[in-house]
Amino acid sequence: MAELLASGGSLEMVRTAFENGADAVYVGAKGWSRRRAQYEMDDPGIVEAARYARSVGKILRVAFNTLPASAEVPLFLARTDALYAEGVRDFILTDPGLMMALKNRHPDTILHASVGCTIINVQDAFFYKEAGASQIVAECRMGMETMRKIRREAGVGLEVLVHATTCFTLLGRCTMSSYTKHEHRVDAAGKDHFPGSPNRGGLCYRICLTEWDQVGAGGEVEAEGITLPNPAFFLVDDIPDLIDLGVDTIKIQGREYSVALVGEMVRFYRELIDACVRDRSSFRIEPWKERMARIAAERDAERREKTAGLIGESLTSP
Amino acid sequence: MQPFELIVSVACPGELSGTDLSPYDAVCLGSPYCRRVDGNYAEALDLLAGTVTRLHGMGKKAYVSTPATPREADLPHVGRLVDAAAAAGADALEIHNMGVLRILREKGGPVPAHMGAYANVYTHLAAGVMRDAGAVRVRPNAEVALEEMGTIALEGRVEVEILVHGKIPLGVADGCFLLTEPEETDPKCPKACREEHWLASRDWVLKTVGKGVLSGRDMCMLEHLPRLARGGFRVFRVEGLYESADYRSEIGAVYREALSSVFAGGEFRVEGRWGDVVRRHAPKGLCNGYYFGAAGRKYVGSVLQDGNSGV
Repeated sequence: MAELLASGGSLEMVRTAFENGADAVYVGAKGWSRRRAQYEMDDPGIVEAARYARSVGKILRVAFNTLPASAEVPLFLARTDALYAEGVRDFILTDPGLMMALKNRHPDTILHASVGCTIINVQDAFFYKEAGASQIVAECRMGMETMRKIRREAGVGLEVLVHATTCFTLLGRCTMSSYTKHEHRVDAAGKDHFPGSPNRGGLCYRICLTEWDQVGAGGEVEAEGITLPNPAFFLVDDIPDLIDLGVDTIKIQGREYSVALVGEMVRFYRELIDACVRDRSSFRIEPWKERMARIAAERDAERREKTAGLIGESLTSP
Repeated sequence: MQPFELIVSVACPGELSGTDLSPYDAVCLGSPYCRRVDGNYAEALDLLAGTVTRLHGMGKKAYVSTPATPREADLPHVGRLVDAAAAAGADALEIHNMGVLRILREKGGPVPAHMGAYANVYTHLAAGVMRDAGAVRVRPNAEVALEEMGTIALEGRVEVEILVHGKIPLGVADGCFLLTEPEETDPKCPKACREEHWLASRDWVLKTVGKGVLSGRDMCMLEHLPRLARGGFRVFRVEGLYESADYRSEIGAVYREALSSVFAGGEFRVEGRWGDVVRRHAPKGLCNGYYFGAAGRKYVGSVLQDGNSGV
């Protein structure tokens, strides 16, 4: 049965996700994951979360899925060595060079290729498998046919995001935020958090979500106050198909949301998946949609507030 | 042996036509953004052999771009493109997608690979993985600073290409932002992306080319060319996609003259007429912040910054 993977932006969120039915939880190593520092965890917190996961027979994955500077590679190796020594074996990475380095150093680690890898075809899946990944995250708009092909041919696990904030462009291939504002904040360990770059440090100012005017060559306004298409998605209809397809992991993104909301989302998907698996032939999706709509409304309210804050932050100097 | 290589990118015969290629040592053919660009060299395979031969006849190298975001359904075409580029005698394939790199490797690497702007090369380790898969050159992601690029070249043991002038690629999407109907039926396709469209909000300006988001300002490294040369960089690009023939011709001429001066040694100064040309072709201004660790839209320098009318 597909594993349900949930987000862990704090120790409290990790516990809540497990208590509500997650099979696995991912957390971000501070300075190294695709979210800002407040939603990441330091090493003692990660170690405690990993112990808790083991104590309840579940899995904790640690995301090191930013794209660092070359000079930071020794920091990465030291930090993953330390977590490895504490029993952490499951990591989420983006940089294929880091994948190979970690796999060579610790062959028994389990590496998943992050959504930041922008895996959009079966050959991409093969590439990251050869770099050391045993599972890949499908790009957010990947169609079922491609997923099926990856499952059939690539010999890697397949992970699909069912709840995520995506991007106007392909996730992992966008630098619009850092074009407008990009800073350097080096922490005590020597890691640059690259505020403004989601690829490098996680903090994205989401400028794609502000209102834009489309202007022609002569300065004429062609369209006023438009938004770039970038909805946060919340899949329900696709869940039975994903289960039928045999995806290995169904992932709920959302470290930046409240603990209560994440708990609610995890519980929703846990019950939905279990109901679907228990009696596939008579399973009907319609009753679940109403419940999902209520959760989505809560999610959207939190998202709007955070987005407004981020865009405001992007307007401050430098 | 040439002391440096200056490359220009052109998507299609419409862009090649009227462009003075004399400043350039190499031309990168094709648009990585959209397969529907009219005459896209990465799509119109029947055009490749003749164009490559023509460029070789002019003493120039010919590189061929590949789609930046090939979905599964695009891969058969990518396979044919690799074969066609090899048969045409192209000097390299520009690759943005790891699956495409793997296809090239599986075919035995008939053409060297140059990793493009969307390949997300940030570290020397990633560059090394790509090198082992057939890449001989990488263009690091736009966010990577010059200092980091030096490490990538040295430790990754690959040649590094630097965008010295033009719009910075900021994002690539599946769907065309400029269309309202599916691209197969929208009468605005493929004309819409040949027109000029900007996105403006607050004091930010971006350029949209439908499936691509580019910087509004033009990357300009003119005053920093001596630093690039001292850093060991030898491969430079002028981004010519979605620009006019005059842009490609005149910007190329400026950089040819400036780079020749730098690599000849001696004192270097930015000529006033160079400044006039780059400013005339940059209606939204100049930038280069990424290379110096700042926001991409910032300009770092003491000669061509906004408001300096002395040059």
